[in-house]
Amino acid sequence: MLEALDKKKLARLALDDARKFGVTYADVRIEAIEDQNLSLANGTVEPIDSALSIGIGIRVIKNGAWGFAATDDLREAVIREKTRLAASIAEASAKINKTTIDLARVKPVSAEYTSSYEIDPFTVALDEKIAFLQDIDKAIIDVGVDGMNSRNVFASFRRRDKYFASSEGADISQLLIQTGGGLSMGLAKSHRERYERSFPSSSGQYECKGYELLEELKLKENIPRLAEELKMLLAAENCPQKKSTLLLSGDQVSLQMHESIGHPLELDRVFGAERDFSGTSFATPDKLGNLKYASDIVTVVCDSTAPHGLATYGYDDEGVPAQPVPLIKDGILVDYLSSRETAARIGHESTACMRANSWINIPIVRIAGINLIPGNKSFEQLLSEIDDGIFMDTVRSWSIDDERRYFQFGCEIGWLIKGGKLTTPIKNPTYSGCTTEFWNSCSGIADKNSWRIWGTPNCGKGQPGQNARTAQGASPCRFDNVEIGTGS
Amino acid sequence: MILNKETAQTILQAALSHASADMAEAVIEQDRLALTRFAERRITDHIDQDETTLYIRCVRDKKISVIATGNLSPDGIKKAVIDCEAMLAYMVPDDNFISLAKPDNAVVVENRISENTADFGPDKRAEAIAGIFGVAKKGLCESSGALRLEQKTLAVANSLGLSRYFTGNQAQISMTLAGMQNNSGWSMGYHHDASQIAIDRLALTALQKSMTSRDPISLDDGKYTVILEPAAVGQLLILLSFMGFGCATLYQRRSFMAGKIGEKIAGENFTVFEDPLDMDFTTPLIDYEGVPKKKVALIENGIARGVVYNTYYANLMNTESTGHALAPNNSYGPYPKNMVVAAGDSSLDDMIKSTERGILITHFWYLNFLNPMQTMVTGTTRDGTFLIENGQVSSPVRNMRTNQSILEAFSNITAISKERIVYPQYSVLMKVPAMKIDNFNLAAESEDNAKC
Repeated sequence: MLEALDKKKLARLALDDARKFGVTYADVRIEAIEDQNLSLANGTVEPIDSALSIGIGIRVIKNGAWGFAATDDLREAVIREKTRLAASIAEASAKINKTTIDLARVKPVSAEYTSSYEIDPFTVALDEKIAFLQDIDKAIIDVGVDGMNSRNVFASFRRRDKYFASSEGADISQLLIQTGGGLSMGLAKSHRERYERSFPSSSGQYECKGYELLEELKLKENIPRLAEELKMLLAAENCPQKKSTLLLSGDQVSLQMHESIGHPLELDRVFGAERDFSGTSFATPDKLGNLKYASDIVTVVCDSTAPHGLATYGYDDEGVPAQPVPLIKDGILVDYLSSRETAARIGHESTACMRANSWINIPIVRIAGINLIPGNKSFEQLLSEIDDGIFMDTVRSWSIDDERRYFQFGCEIGWLIKGGKLTTPIKNPTYSGCTTEFWNSCSGIADKNSWRIWGTPNCGKGQPGQNARTAQGASPCRFDNVEIGTGS
Repeated sequence: MILNKETAQTILQAALSHASADMAEAVIEQDRLALTRFAERRITDHIDQDETTLYIRCVRDKKISVIATGNLSPDGIKKAVIDCEAMLAYMVPDDNFISLAKPDNAVVVENRISENTADFGPDKRAEAIAGIFGVAKKGLCESSGALRLEQKTLAVANSLGLSRYFTGNQAQISMTLAGMQNNSGWSMGYHHDASQIAIDRLALTALQKSMTSRDPISLDDGKYTVILEPAAVGQLLILLSFMGFGCATLYQRRSFMAGKIGEKIAGENFTVFEDPLDMDFTTPLIDYEGVPKKKVALIENGIARGVVYNTYYANLMNTESTGHALAPNNSYGPYPKNMVVAAGDSSLDDMIKSTERGILITHFWYLNFLNPMQTMVTGTTRDGTFLIENGQVSSPVRNMRTNQSILEAFSNITAISKERIVYPQYSVLMKVPAMKIDNFNLAAESEDNAKC
């Protein structure tokens, strides 16, 4: 999509002008983002959401302060005007800032990166995509759940064409192809009670893949099970309120990681950049290397090189190459999700997590790919070892405090576990805890057979709000002595 | 490109001229944002951004297609229309569709630009932030927050002859001042005219809250009398709105309003209208179909009255659009964007003085749905939670979690303030008072952060 533009010429124009305005650093991102979202709501094909956004973001450091300007008007005169504006904004900031920005070093590279995919979803005909969704919808109807009053099936495709150039000499082109899909079915028992079952998670599943993902998700194959579970919820018991052994599904572990490991380890948040909005973090730098964040069996790696993760890329929006970096090693906090600026403050290298929602936004530190290293027991073994406990499946509700210490999460369905087996279905299951106590109670992580990288398409952070795509590699996990049933 | 009325109409008419469908609609939207964000005694993000998007909606034989593009060159506009019409071939007729919005004779204000806001440039913004740094320093606090200036321009034209334009701007600031003794205080301000926001006074409010919240105590779980400051009321209200004040959720019976219109669902002293015409708001007075926004009773004296509509659902549900269509590519459906809660005759001070034992809550954090049909939400208090004893603030309190039905809370209101503020969240503006509410669920998170 950027082929039609002389992106290098436009970037060079901005970088050359930036130098004339006396900046000490500048980078330019030119991006074209094409989205296509299709959905069927109760059998009706919703108008296809098809969008194209192209623009430029110019970021500079002048007098030790950041300035940023972005526009979708790509005329040369406008780009020059916006470059001047970015420099003057930085000057204004510098007048009151007492500290100056220092960036961790990165070797500037010329590179091209294309995410791995088999079928470019934008080459697949719309009628084929709609027929796929209608086939899934028909399968939901065919299972015949009495009282079902909502059915949703969706597919989502993104093509993000990115170009990055910096005053240090970086010259990086990237093409990311992403696909998502999922379904949900809902049933109202009364004016006050309504239940939902979704698959693969409540927001579907998104990966850096092509159209082939939709078949791989096995949506149709899971419909009979989901329908049975929906019927079970009608007669299910409420979640008991007590301390219990808790077994979580992979998608719920992914959310747990996202909220209580990913966000607290964003180093800009740790330093207070988000205090007024999305909060701070209990995981302050004095805890680096000594905080027992989790039990010994827990190792979490920031790795945006993992194949097909929704946050898999070659380089972040500062031109830092993605690479595997341990965040929690054998339960100990060893690093953060960082940018060049924040990493420099703790004497580390950037973990390549500086990302912007699109060309229009300034990059901020985001959860990238964070992966929980799988354990060595199967899900069935983990379950069989629980004499008395509860299993919870599929994200439904989530809330965590502004320091990321205390959380309360809920799932779509649960089962009591007795003698190593799933028994009574439970509706509105919830659990709560404090982050490090919870992760230190992790007594089992399922093996690679039930491990997958879950894609989160809608992570919010920053002002103005930016919607990032993140990924968490997770398998089902067991936690001991957890408070369940709060707020049910 | 400045999207004035003439430019907007030129682009819209160019788009419509390429359309051959039964009906076509073109919408152009421009968002300009200047934002200064600060933390750690410095400006961290300082940005200026603008984006212009053209939406095309085509209808043929009751098939509907939508496309959005940022390419506003003549070729880009033509391609968008051609691509949009090409998509019609793949769409299934929607028998519920009757018509795009029809032209009407209503006269709508087209310009609500404050020159003071438009002229509040980077240097002025930095100067204002420096004032906050000065206040924070006096209290040995760190300040963080964002000063935000926005201009939205929206223009709509369709093949039925409707044509409308609006441009307006606004300013808002929020800030948190936090110290080393588990203390923090928050305040915010909103105004059409940036120069009218008393930033120094807001900084002092946040500082006073922060200083008062040092070394908070823990309280037991229980049902408390709470005094919610206006922002806290707004945060509950917006979730209530998402759960049930839109026609789509009502039609699909996913709303707590379903089957309840005309019935009592909240206390008699609770009234909320959607009122885009309130002069404290400067958001567009037209929707994304060009329909003028109307005032709508949502809950009146505790009785469920109605929801907001776009043209599609209004046709489907045999009523009139209230002018609440969102962008054509959204699938969520309309919701109110300018809610006004009726004022009472009390004041925050009077509420505190009349409380034997209760909790004052500045605002909430991370409220999320638990059970939408029961309007159950969960979330925590934040940046200023205080115990009230014998008519005065007696101690700061550690943040607490609530698991609470919003309608139940709005059924237990015992006092509402006369003073209201405009509180912005998620592109929604709300004019909200403080409230005193009985039997509000609150639970302690932990007595000891060191364990967590």
